[in-house]
Amino acid sequence: MEQHNNEIVKLDNSPPTGIQVVLREFKKDKVAMFSFFGITLLIVVILVAAMFLNQEEILKIKLLERFTEPGVNGYRLGADEAGRDMLGQLVIGAKNSILIAFAITIITSVAGIALGIIMGYYGGFIDNLFMRIIDFFITLPSLMIIIVFVTIIPKYGVLELILIISLFQWMSTARLVRSKALSEGKRDYVNASKTMGTSDLAIMFKGILPNLSSILIVEVTLNFAGNVGIETGLSFLGFGLPPSTPSLGTLVNYATNPLVLSTKWWVWLPASILILILMLGINYVGQALRRAADAKQRMG
Amino acid sequence: MKKNWLLLSVVLAVMFVLAACNNDGKNAEKTDDGKKDNPGQAEETKVDTTTLPMEVTNEGDVIKGGTLRVALVTDTPFKGIFSWELYEDAYDSEIMKYTTNSLFETDGDFLVTDEGIAKLEVDKDNKKAKITIQGDVKWSDGKPLTADDLIYPYEIIGHPDYEGVRYDDDFQNIVGAQEYHDGKAKTISGIKKIDEKSIEITFKKVSPAIYAVGDGLWGYAAPKHQLESIPVKDALIASDAVRKNPVTLGAFKFDKIKNGESVQLVANEYYYKGKPKVDKVVIEVVPSSSIGEAMKTGKYDIATSFPTNQYDSLKGLSNIAILGRPELAYSYLGFKVGKYDKANRKNIFNEKSKMNDVNLRQAIGYAMDIESVGEKFYQGLRVRANSLIPPVFASYYDGTLEGYHYDPEKAKELLDKAGYKDADGDGIREDKDGKKFSIRLAAMAGSDTDEAIVEYYRQNWKDVGLNVELTTGRLIEFNSFYDKVKADDPEIDMFMAAWGTGTNPSPIGLYSEGAEFNFSRYVSADLSTMLENIDSEKAMDPKYRSEAFRTWQEYMSEQATTIPTMFRTEIIPVNKRVKNFDVDYAKETLSNLQTIELTADAPIK
Repeated sequence: MEQHNNEIVKLDNSPPTGIQVVLREFKKDKVAMFSFFGITLLIVVILVAAMFLNQEEILKIKLLERFTEPGVNGYRLGADEAGRDMLGQLVIGAKNSILIAFAITIITSVAGIALGIIMGYYGGFIDNLFMRIIDFFITLPSLMIIIVFVTIIPKYGVLELILIISLFQWMSTARLVRSKALSEGKRDYVNASKTMGTSDLAIMFKGILPNLSSILIVEVTLNFAGNVGIETGLSFLGFGLPPSTPSLGTLVNYATNPLVLSTKWWVWLPASILILILMLGINYVGQALRRAADAKQRMG
Repeated sequence: MKKNWLLLSVVLAVMFVLAACNNDGKNAEKTDDGKKDNPGQAEETKVDTTTLPMEVTNEGDVIKGGTLRVALVTDTPFKGIFSWELYEDAYDSEIMKYTTNSLFETDGDFLVTDEGIAKLEVDKDNKKAKITIQGDVKWSDGKPLTADDLIYPYEIIGHPDYEGVRYDDDFQNIVGAQEYHDGKAKTISGIKKIDEKSIEITFKKVSPAIYAVGDGLWGYAAPKHQLESIPVKDALIASDAVRKNPVTLGAFKFDKIKNGESVQLVANEYYYKGKPKVDKVVIEVVPSSSIGEAMKTGKYDIATSFPTNQYDSLKGLSNIAILGRPELAYSYLGFKVGKYDKANRKNIFNEKSKMNDVNLRQAIGYAMDIESVGEKFYQGLRVRANSLIPPVFASYYDGTLEGYHYDPEKAKELLDKAGYKDADGDGIREDKDGKKFSIRLAAMAGSDTDEAIVEYYRQNWKDVGLNVELTTGRLIEFNSFYDKVKADDPEIDMFMAAWGTGTNPSPIGLYSEGAEFNFSRYVSADLSTMLENIDSEKAMDPKYRSEAFRTWQEYMSEQATTIPTMFRTEIIPVNKRVKNFDVDYAKETLSNLQTIELTADAPIK
């Protein structure tokens, strides 16, 4: 009873901080809570399991095991048309897709945030210049251009794929951060810092950035889900990872063969379900975070 | 019937319908070996190509008229150039098979017979050929076929403004063709009109290929009365006479053309073999991914260029008969050992090139487990090829040739002998100087199956210690693949491709010093002599020619600059309402379309 009272008192005294709001939002939204733990667990399991798998062994083609059904000969999820273990491919593919999406998210977020804050803080010519560049990039049909890049570069691997996709994914973050930084830059605390002689860099990244953190977390989370989608989508179309590297997209791509689609469900269904779970989960978490960041939408 | 290597290979390679033949005793033996390794599965998955019939006859009462529904299996729209002189896309020729302007009929050896519209008489001593129209033949618009219509195609192809692919070395074999093409002469001096029904052509040389409509002889007529007024430059290829309402000599004539999508044909009442019993033929483009389902649900009677790797989806269908026949094609693995000199139009062999080591090339061939790939991935519809001549050319094919069967031990031995040794103990061989050695392979993109197959071969090569990497790191899309191979891209050491041979098996267009299609760029004095022998005048003697073919096949097998990998079987699903359908090259239903009959109003489901 006493504790309960204490809590109320506390709340009355000071507005809840970012983390508290987020926690309350998750407590109210059971689906988001469940998603958060589910996704974290799933990603950890996939990453750990992938470390113990021998990729070369799994990708070895065994013609005798062509389309082995799940549960036969020690293939827990069956084998594809080249006799490669689907479970192993699923884990490695998921690991690749997740890590690539992760890398893209980090690269684009860092670039987008840095650019956005600089634009918002300085405004004027710099803002104008970069906004026009962003406008230009946004008008480009990025998926098509990514595909073209992927086909023309001579040496092609995971790193190249990450860089190419990143090249076309930083704009929305930059724009969002810029608009927030623009309004934040006019606040008193910024002006105060300026008069105290704090360097521009310190104001931008120590002053303004933390005030944008809640919106950034939302943006990054949702971007992550989007990037998993882009990578798997490209691989599905055959322009993602090179053939010797499994990805969720390539696994789903097997379903384009009507025969596989109708009779060999174990080849494509697990990967499809995994993508669905990943996307839904991340999105639920992202939605909860978004509500937490916007006082009007909060449930808790 | 004209050879067009590249175009044929376009379709063949893209659609994966290239065929195999299993009639040869040696091949049959090899597949048996495979079975012993793996008794259980082989039995269910392998198709014995010899049991696929070439002909189907269905019971039931024939209906009057009716519409034959044909599926043209392709993932790209057809171009719609309905002229034998101008078309480039092989899908157009698939459609034109129903309306053909072909003058000659051919037999099982693809040699001209006397049964066609025209008769061919060759005077080999004077290097002349006489073509005579037999009887009264009319175009589909009722105008009679005359000698002028026989000459006109030569005037189109030889025309100075002609931009198509058929003005080639072969065509220049006609006396005066070159002068006409260069604009120095008004007519082709070697072609003479004797009377309204016959013409005479004089050649620079006459070889046995002429009986397979080679040596520059053209197998089709062109309706001069319709085309005469249209200039060849740009206008002809865009004209309605080619695109919308071409006049034909075949069983059917064009009715409606929806460009790139479908063609509706109606019976040609003037067809010289009699009006077809079927009223209409509708040919529609169907994507390769849905053709299996479309056949199953009875949307079509016949599917052309059916993708081999979807054979499974046809198995066990009660409304379909599956016909099979050997394809006039082979897949191969080629090694780049030189460059093409564009200015002088000839291949230059480079002795110092990376792949110029016969032991290395042979070892690569022995290391490939082609037998299992054919059996598992193609259900036996493809078998290991032992020669660069498909077995369907029985008189030229060398069945005794051993070829490169799967023998990793022998491969290792050869590599050791050649000096490729694993110096640093990582399981991968180094080159003769002990430096890191990797081979770059260019392979064509297609279905997932192709990816798995290429990975499997790479695994095979790794087993013998060869590090093979993919040029560009992935499989290459069809068009850019051939662009790269043709341009001798320095990133390519070897490449996996396929040739359609056409009906004239003469290899001179693919392996001679002057041939741009000689992608491996291998040239030697011996090879040139052998190729010349095959098409020499002496080779008019069938025995000599067949011997010349054998010598050449053995030589190529030994040199291993081009290793044949697979022979292919084409499968043609036919709905059971079609009364009679035959795909035997000698008596194809497609050349006797007047006989086709249906037993129901719609395809059986």
